[in-house]
Amino acid sequence: MSQPTGRSGVEQTNRSTADQTDRDAADQTDRDAADRTDRGTESGYRDAQPSYRTTVRNPRDGFGHLLRAEWTKLRSVRSSVRCLLATILLTVLVTPLISASSSTNANEAPHFTDQFTFVHQPMAGDGTVVARVSSQLNSQEWARAGLMIKQNTTAGSPYAAIMVTPRHGVRLQANFDTDIPGPDLGAPRWLRLTRSGAVITGSESTDGTTWHAVGTVRVGALAPTAEIGMFVASPPVLRVTKTSGGSSTSLVLSLGAATFDHVTIQPNAPQQFPGWSELMLNGGAGTKGGPPANVPTDGDGPFTAGDGPFTVHGAGDVAGYGIPSFPVGDDDIVVNSLSGVQLGLLAVIALGVLFAAGEYKTGMIRTTFAATPRRRRVLGAKAIVVGVAVFVAGLVASLTAFYIAQPVLRRNGYQPPAYPHPTLADGTVLRAVVGTALFLAVLAVFSLSVGVILKRSARAIALVVGLVLVPQIVASLVPSLGVANWINRLTPTAGLAIQHTRPRFDYAIAPWGGFAVLCGYAAVALVVAIWLVRRRDA
Amino acid sequence: MATTIEVRDLRKRYGRTLAVDRLSFTVGAGRVTGFVGPNGAGKSTTMRMILGLDAPDGGAALVGGRRYAALRTPLCEVGALLDAGAIHPSRRARDHLLWMAHSNGIPRRRVDTVLAMVGLESAARRRGGGFSLGMRQRLGIAAALLGDPPVLMFDEPVNGLDPEGIHWMRGLLRRLADEGRVVFVSSHLMSELEGSADHLIVIGRGRLIADTSVAQLLAAASLDLVVLRTVQRSEAMTALASHGATVAAIDRETVTVRGLPADRIAALLTERALPFTELAPHRASLEEAYMDLTRDAVEFSAPDTPDASPVATEA
Repeated sequence: MSQPTGRSGVEQTNRSTADQTDRDAADQTDRDAADRTDRGTESGYRDAQPSYRTTVRNPRDGFGHLLRAEWTKLRSVRSSVRCLLATILLTVLVTPLISASSSTNANEAPHFTDQFTFVHQPMAGDGTVVARVSSQLNSQEWARAGLMIKQNTTAGSPYAAIMVTPRHGVRLQANFDTDIPGPDLGAPRWLRLTRSGAVITGSESTDGTTWHAVGTVRVGALAPTAEIGMFVASPPVLRVTKTSGGSSTSLVLSLGAATFDHVTIQPNAPQQFPGWSELMLNGGAGTKGGPPANVPTDGDGPFTAGDGPFTVHGAGDVAGYGIPSFPVGDDDIVVNSLSGVQLGLLAVIALGVLFAAGEYKTGMIRTTFAATPRRRRVLGAKAIVVGVAVFVAGLVASLTAFYIAQPVLRRNGYQPPAYPHPTLADGTVLRAVVGTALFLAVLAVFSLSVGVILKRSARAIALVVGLVLVPQIVASLVPSLGVANWINRLTPTAGLAIQHTRPRFDYAIAPWGGFAVLCGYAAVALVVAIWLVRRRDA
Repeated sequence: MATTIEVRDLRKRYGRTLAVDRLSFTVGAGRVTGFVGPNGAGKSTTMRMILGLDAPDGGAALVGGRRYAALRTPLCEVGALLDAGAIHPSRRARDHLLWMAHSNGIPRRRVDTVLAMVGLESAARRRGGGFSLGMRQRLGIAAALLGDPPVLMFDEPVNGLDPEGIHWMRGLLRRLADEGRVVFVSSHLMSELEGSADHLIVIGRGRLIADTSVAQLLAAASLDLVVLRTVQRSEAMTALASHGATVAAIDRETVTVRGLPADRIAALLTERALPFTELAPHRASLEEAYMDLTRDAVEFSAPDTPDASPVATEA
């Protein structure tokens, strides 16, 4: 299988062709027909002439050589190099424009919401309050029902609370910024809150006898006499209305309800309790319109004495930055800083297509397949070379764009706490930045394959650009979010989902899921291209 | 294993056109084999099938006894120039050869060697788009020689070459054949091969018309004709006819003689004191012989149009 091996002998039997050029050319062509007829006649040539063997030592057909060949092709054509540079430049240059076009005032609003129904009474000094939440209405995934100790009944005052939620288990939260998750269990559940100076301990139990501590929080500014009691809240639900050319979001009130029993207060120092009173707190972000109008009042004046049951209704949220239910800035600023890639990808498509269709146009594909008859390997090498080259260029582009965009975004209000500064140390941010380069690399492989399939660069570029851009435009125009989401899920640009760093109502597909969709496109196109290339004449 | 190109019962159909029709021949080493036929005869198609670029509909094409697709480093076994225009216009000549060298693991220095062989050293860093057709042919030949292969195939290599280039090309073909290589050169003009080919494979409409040495072909076409020029035409004709020759008058002073060798004619005329100004055995040109062969096979012949190439009227 391998090539001629005769090392020393070969060199001697073959005269160096280069040396001979001038000498031979001079006299060879003067020979007339008579001379020639004497020489090459009949069949004597075969045994008379020793077979020529190549003087090239040790030729190889390894895949690495093929990669090197394809890389030489790519780098030695100006248009390919320009496409790689254009990928970087287009992505980077539009980044400041895109970043400058969005701004936020999220940080001007209060950094907390303090809206809930509180059935409370004052407790002097240390002590413990216990209750069982026997049932909770699943009005919202983050609806809260539990026990709270709060500085006073002014909205925004310090607090600590232990609670159950319909979908996020038991939580111990404090001061609008601390959230300690407990077991992933809901009502019915026993809850207990213990004050010891500024230290508050939250515990939960299935039966009221065996208790498990969820955590301990420190509420520094707690007055000697603080308000303790039961509370119910239910954050509003985000509703998205898709219109042609855009979408609008609105918050719809949700009404929470829970029933408490076995309510006991055990103060360390004996004292008189005035009885329960109900209050709807209303303060912080998103509460300008006053307390929700349709929250029923659960009792006239003090609740009946005893340990319940008490049914409490409530709407709103007790949260701030750091507590998951609090609506942090809605914009995905990492996506914003990387969206220049939507322009840069045009150069990637051109590169991928031309790297294949260009060979068909010039006829060089024949030289390629004559040099390497194993065509599947050729296509594999082409895909790897164009993919890696685009990945490197894409990484330069996305890193540069990411760092260019940050100061612009900060100037436009994207600041902590509503918008924490994104860093590459954060896995999702790193995924977005590296994923952008991966997206471009796979798109290049897809374009290459389409270029092989169609052979014509103009048609192939039109097709791929159409597949990438048209669905995005259509998706933004259709007045249905469901249809728009399906369009965004099923087209190659689903791969851009890899840039997402936070959930958003209009994100149609998970980051890696979207990337897998693009990979699917590329894989199918590559398989078709390989099948065609092995089947049809070059 | 003998170095050969072997075509067996090869067939290729494009739509309704039978481009190659049961073609069989063997090309041996150590001589220049011309591959001749009118345009559209199937020469390029056959060469593409030998290179494994087009799949035959039947039969097989073997290089050194193996299918081209089975070759692992084909550039070191078969060098081919198919289409000199098949280069990327913005790639430098040197890079064009370099990627080919990489693909077969051929050392980089071979690139400079073959560039020197074809006289393109000074154009090595120029882009192919700026090359004249002649320079492209030279680059294509450099590419074919890159792996120093024992088998070489050139499709219309002298196309676009200037006279100096044609001269160089003939010398190159000769030298490559003398080194013991298979040299297979196609042309639609027999005159281009005159002076360089030793052996001919003539095809027309995809079929083999002749597989013959140049010497045999010329001998067959010359038919022992002798051309005689004399002012005493009728006397000479009578004298020669009486000795059994077939004599035909061409014009007032020229006759052709068949059936007597030239020296015998000279003796007869001298005996009778008949003066003559020219007496020469007629040697048919390769072109004439070829025209004879392919008269029926020319696919797109224009009736009543004088052929541009010089064809002796008396042949």
